[in-house]
Amino acid sequence: MKAEYINPFVQASFSVLEMVLGVRPEQGDMVVQPNTFVTEQCNVVCGITGQVQGQVIYGMSLITADKIASTMLGQTIKTFDALAASALGELGNMISGNAMQLLSDVGWVCDITPPTVVRGSNVKISTLSVPAIVIPLTLEEGVIYLTVGLQGRK
Amino acid sequence: MSKKILITDDALFMRVTLRNFLVSSGYDVVGEAANGQEAVEKYASCKPDLVFMDITMPVMDGIAATRAIKKNDPNANVIMCTAMGQKNMVMEAIQAGAKDFIVKPFNPERILESIQKVIGV
Repeated sequence: MKAEYINPFVQASFSVLEMVLGVRPEQGDMVVQPNTFVTEQCNVVCGITGQVQGQVIYGMSLITADKIASTMLGQTIKTFDALAASALGELGNMISGNAMQLLSDVGWVCDITPPTVVRGSNVKISTLSVPAIVIPLTLEEGVIYLTVGLQGRK
Repeated sequence: MSKKILITDDALFMRVTLRNFLVSSGYDVVGEAANGQEAVEKYASCKPDLVFMDITMPVMDGIAATRAIKKNDPNANVIMCTAMGQKNMVMEAIQAGAKDFIVKPFNPERILESIQKVIGV
């Protein structure tokens, strides 16, 4: 997977998370995952289509998801309901959407699909033939694991 | 009388956030649509002064919905409010008839500036 596919998502994560949550995240070391792996408990999955295609997943613990939703909604949430899920989904959507602009600036024209929020205690994701690169982003609310599984279309 | 606004976004969070902001800014939110098809239908029934339109939505996207609304009402005021900010998207939206284009996450002042620019209040 090319670095030029990943960098737009890292840059977009930084700028959107800072605008939405008020603090710039800290980036941890990149890890390459095999094509099937266990993810975090709460995942926002965004499909990417066009000249580059695959999925980008924003994964976090249930506690971090609750805290991020609370920050976005301006009040501590009591349960992770449809509104909280929508807030997380929209966060993934905004990061991915902003990344589309950066990808297009380096010559890759792509589109995003509406996000899906997947929650569970033992979720396994398979990106099939595409290796996944995972980048941890540390915030006050906890860590978001940015997982990028993309390949160029010929 | 307050200006009437229709909000279109598939994300409940965005509809709630934008509604709360617009109402506290003195506007009348007359309807919410979760996709472009609903937006076209609600435009006809609610007759808003202004539509906020997302792009990436299931059933019918915001650009197709803008085209459909403008076809029925060439004077319709549509502001795209979306996470997709590429130049080709902006061009397509303007060609479809949108009068302004705001990239999410939105800045509240930018929203008010845009409303001022498009409907003058």
